[in-house]
Amino acid sequence: MAEILEARHISKNYGGVRALKDVTFTAYRGQVNVLVGENGAGKSTLMKILSGSEQPTSGEIVLEGETVQLGSPRAAQALGIGIIHQELSLFPNLSIAENLFAGRELRKGGRFVDAAGQRRRAREVLERLGQDRLDPDTLVGDLPIGQQQLVEIGRVLLEDVRVLIMDEPTSALSNHEVDVLFEVMGDLRRDDVTVIYISHKLDEFRRIGDWVTVFRDGRLVAHESMSKTDTGWIVRQMVGRDPDSLYVRNSSPVGDVLLEVRGLTVPGTVAVDDVSLSVRAGEVVGIYGLMGAGRTELMETLMGMRRATAGEVFVRGEKEPKSTVQARMAAGLALVPEDRQRDGLVQTMTVRDNILLATIAKLTRGGLLAGPAEQRTARDKVSELAIKIPGLGALVTALSGGNQQKVVLARALLTEPIVLLLDEPTRGVDVGAKSQIAGLMAELAARGFGVLFISSELAEVMAMADRVLVMARGRITAEFTAENVTEEALVTASASESALEASA
Amino acid sequence: MTDTDVAAPAPTAAAPQPEESRTALKRAALLLLRGRTLVVLVVLVIIFSSISSEYLTQSNLILMTKHVAINAILAIGVTFVILTGGIDLSVGSIAGLSSMVAGGLLFKGLNVPGGTVFFSVAVVILIGIVVGALVGAVNGLLITRFKVAPFIATLGMLYVARGAAQLHSNGGTYPDLAGTEARGNTGFSFIGVDSLLGIPVAVWIMVVVAAVAIVVTTRTPFGKHIFAVGGNERAAVLSGIRVNRVKIAVYVISGACAALAGLLLTSELGAAYPDTATTYELNAIAAAVLGGTALSGGRGTIIGTVMGAFVIGFLSDGLVLVGVSTFWQSVVKGAVIIFAVITEQAQQRLQSSLTRHTA
Amino acid sequence: MKYLPSRRAFLAVGAATVMALAACGGGDDEGGSSSGGASAPAASKLVVIITPSPDNVFFKAEQDAAAAQAKSLGYETLVLSHDDDPTKQSQQFDTAISRKAAAIILDNAGADASVTAIQRAKDADIPTFLIDREINKTGVAVAQIVSNNAQGAGLGGQEFAKLMENKGEYAELLGKPTDTNAGVRSKGYHGILDQFPDLKMVAQQSANWDQAEALQKTQTILQAHPNIKGIIAGNDTMALGAYAAVQASNKKDIVVVGFDGSPDVVSSIQKKAIKATVLQPASKIAQMAVDQADAYLKAGGKTDQPEKQSIDCVLVNADNAATVKDFAVAGS
Repeated sequence: MAEILEARHISKNYGGVRALKDVTFTAYRGQVNVLVGENGAGKSTLMKILSGSEQPTSGEIVLEGETVQLGSPRAAQALGIGIIHQELSLFPNLSIAENLFAGRELRKGGRFVDAAGQRRRAREVLERLGQDRLDPDTLVGDLPIGQQQLVEIGRVLLEDVRVLIMDEPTSALSNHEVDVLFEVMGDLRRDDVTVIYISHKLDEFRRIGDWVTVFRDGRLVAHESMSKTDTGWIVRQMVGRDPDSLYVRNSSPVGDVLLEVRGLTVPGTVAVDDVSLSVRAGEVVGIYGLMGAGRTELMETLMGMRRATAGEVFVRGEKEPKSTVQARMAAGLALVPEDRQRDGLVQTMTVRDNILLATIAKLTRGGLLAGPAEQRTARDKVSELAIKIPGLGALVTALSGGNQQKVVLARALLTEPIVLLLDEPTRGVDVGAKSQIAGLMAELAARGFGVLFISSELAEVMAMADRVLVMARGRITAEFTAENVTEEALVTASASESALEASA
Repeated sequence: MTDTDVAAPAPTAAAPQPEESRTALKRAALLLLRGRTLVVLVVLVIIFSSISSEYLTQSNLILMTKHVAINAILAIGVTFVILTGGIDLSVGSIAGLSSMVAGGLLFKGLNVPGGTVFFSVAVVILIGIVVGALVGAVNGLLITRFKVAPFIATLGMLYVARGAAQLHSNGGTYPDLAGTEARGNTGFSFIGVDSLLGIPVAVWIMVVVAAVAIVVTTRTPFGKHIFAVGGNERAAVLSGIRVNRVKIAVYVISGACAALAGLLLTSELGAAYPDTATTYELNAIAAAVLGGTALSGGRGTIIGTVMGAFVIGFLSDGLVLVGVSTFWQSVVKGAVIIFAVITEQAQQRLQSSLTRHTA
Repeated sequence: MKYLPSRRAFLAVGAATVMALAACGGGDDEGGSSSGGASAPAASKLVVIITPSPDNVFFKAEQDAAAAQAKSLGYETLVLSHDDDPTKQSQQFDTAISRKAAAIILDNAGADASVTAIQRAKDADIPTFLIDREINKTGVAVAQIVSNNAQGAGLGGQEFAKLMENKGEYAELLGKPTDTNAGVRSKGYHGILDQFPDLKMVAQQSANWDQAEALQKTQTILQAHPNIKGIIAGNDTMALGAYAAVQASNKKDIVVVGFDGSPDVVSSIQKKAIKATVLQPASKIAQMAVDQADAYLKAGGKTDQPEKQSIDCVLVNADNAATVKDFAVAGS
């Protein structure tokens, strides 16, 4: 088992924050080396250092036995280290071939782009990626996200790559697309390419990984051959304790039906198809499913942001005739969206203004804002949810992910909802905040709220929900209670319709 | 928004970094950049008053402020729009249109079946402002209901409103707006020519408009909604803010402000002509940008915009006062605007570098 | 969110706006559009009249006089405005060519920028008769009939000097710097004014022919030079703006002189406000151009007039203001 790339005693400081603490990491030649860890554990920082876009504060990097300086992404590329970032960096308005060669176009006569040559090489690369049916002239914007990901990989393959770093490449892919990606990774491994693979998805990386390395709080805490590990071991390493103790289980008595949905249908690229569900007082209901299953669209429709073509929504037994955000908010629904930056926060505003955004109109005297009331209301919520802030007047962007999430939650709670809709409430927040948010959800249920939340993490949804609904292709494909839910059943149900697509 | 500005350095203050005297230096630079409009204004006054002794006299300051008033009122309206992330290119034309509508009503009255009616000056002014507000409402509806990009919708309106102004008199000028006692429509010169307590009425109007705008933007829910729509429209929707209403409202405000500015200009001139306020939209946008309003929306202050209008006005008048040629006036004005935007960028960078330390 | 009620609201507001505009607009609706038929036969009787924006009463008078004269001679007319944009003017020439106009009467958008368009018309056998402004090339247009700006400015300068009693500080408002007439007039003024050593120009600014800009610049100039006794402006709209500033400053004895002879200034002179202006015989020039075009067409493409024709301007002051109508002094 030959080492190809080694990072020795790497530390990295950002201002006063130590992102990496004396990390020594080894990647083995021709293997898939998986890196796992919670957000902020330091794995992305290490990858930035290995790909040349950040410099370590101390430590050295050894490539095939020689100490190397990776002063820039270009320098790393020259040594055969390529990286594929989580966010795609493609030009949707250009063709596949043009994307593959963007910034390093093949030349003809030293001056003109050799379009034919690029097309030929592009075809070779697509073939290597198992996409020989794709026309290199297709616009990248017209491709599904999975194939775009492959184009991104193709860009790296064009260089003579020895080490390929992939940062959560499957987060936006369908199951079928993940299968294709894994086949490609298998091929790369046979071609003696070393893959460093960062992922959150336990069930996925266990299929493809040869080695697993676990990060926690800027340290490397475990390094093991995949075959010697199991899921429980990995989770324990990641969180530093037993996964079940992380989440607080709701155990409040269940009351009346607060939210009932019948036959809700929303057309669109990601559709909601004939969904019926109910949430009772004191109940925490989880929706598990893959990205693109229609979960977010369901939530947005419930909140009045999208218009249903069929179906009915009842809150506390009353039919909701108007589907506007204002009407649904007045009825007692509140949504904490999945993408905080895009849908939740107003980045240009302060913590206070963000917290009060939905209810500001109530805090007036004679038409003008009542400053002291604003201050008091915001301060109360901050202490209630234990939000860590430098001050109510600070810009909301100065907060960490978990605290930003709590700001959005505080805003939702101020609208005095009876059913709280949470779309991936723990996404992108650290372990501590995750556990706090889980605790809050249980507490809210205990106070008589109904809670409906979305999660893509098996462990989380199993540990937190009283009932789990599984969504796939816009439909509810299964329902489990906390007692009878299993990982396997969830995965199967979530893939039930995607599988159809794969064979089609 | 003002309290945002004041409060923003708090994160750094709350988490002091030892060994970093550089942070203190950066913070001082940031303060200077934040107040750059004021700094530029002070520098201008110093330069011009050292060249001409007439610059820093009471009467000249009053005169320059009066010249500022028209652009400031236009710019305040435009600032509302820019804060929501939109743009209003039609304000100059709206000013021209309301000028012609008011001028026509004063000069030749309104033809109704059975004769010609003349309105009192107050009613004429009100009609002028309502016309501006209505054109603004059309802008708002185009943008919200028909999803036309603000740039395009208001660019179109720039031509439509200007054309309407020209059609109104078939291209001619209404030369005499003094009115007659018999018609009961005298006194239009009050808003543009007269003074109260030694200060031109136009300046008082600017002060009132600015004060109301400051209260609306900082002390009302509607104001917060404006900033939210400009800062993150999707988040605003999800917070139950009626985004379309907010947008229509800001274009109405912008149109009404533009109309008011057009009326002031017309009153001062004592004549209404269809080319009134041509290209003034650019001066108004420049004042807003100079005052720190971000064209991307969500960031800016009314006070900053007013300061921006002062810089542009004091600069233009100063150049005329010391006898600089028209060509150089253009060059200098453009350079100041570009400089302001560059410093705005520097401020943003510095600010984010300071906040990142504490995150 | 975006269906029926909103559309109704839009229509309501839209309709309200239209009504407001229409209600306030009232009156004349003839506009400056075509009165000719949709198609012009080979032996065209269409005269195309192209001028700057009729916003300015001067160009309006020019347009009206040319159109009226052409109609009385039995022609159809197409009246267009290039708004001082040579590109727009060029497109309007294309329109004239494609409609096979018999002749073009043009107050052009630029001494150099207009030449190619006129040449294009000539190549299509359409004669162009220039009025008011010259171009920097001969042999392209059939006639260039302009008022004698230099002579007129001389008249204006003399009257201004007389009103100033040959001494004291004055300011000059220039027209748009890119317009030849702005330069010609300023030169004409100074040809006279510079002969008086006691007449001192203390400020010179361009107000781009614009009334509001003239107002604000004059206010600032008066601020800088409180002893100013007179303001001489390159045209009448600027003179009106300057006079508004003079009035506001309570220095009503300041002499203001303009150029053009527009009705507003003429009536101001009658009220002893603005002191004098120089009348350009706009209507007369326009009529002459149409007459010559008619003669040229009837003679089968010949003219007995020289290409460059210069028509003298007339001074208008308190003595003769009452006799001025539509850019013409009775008896001149």
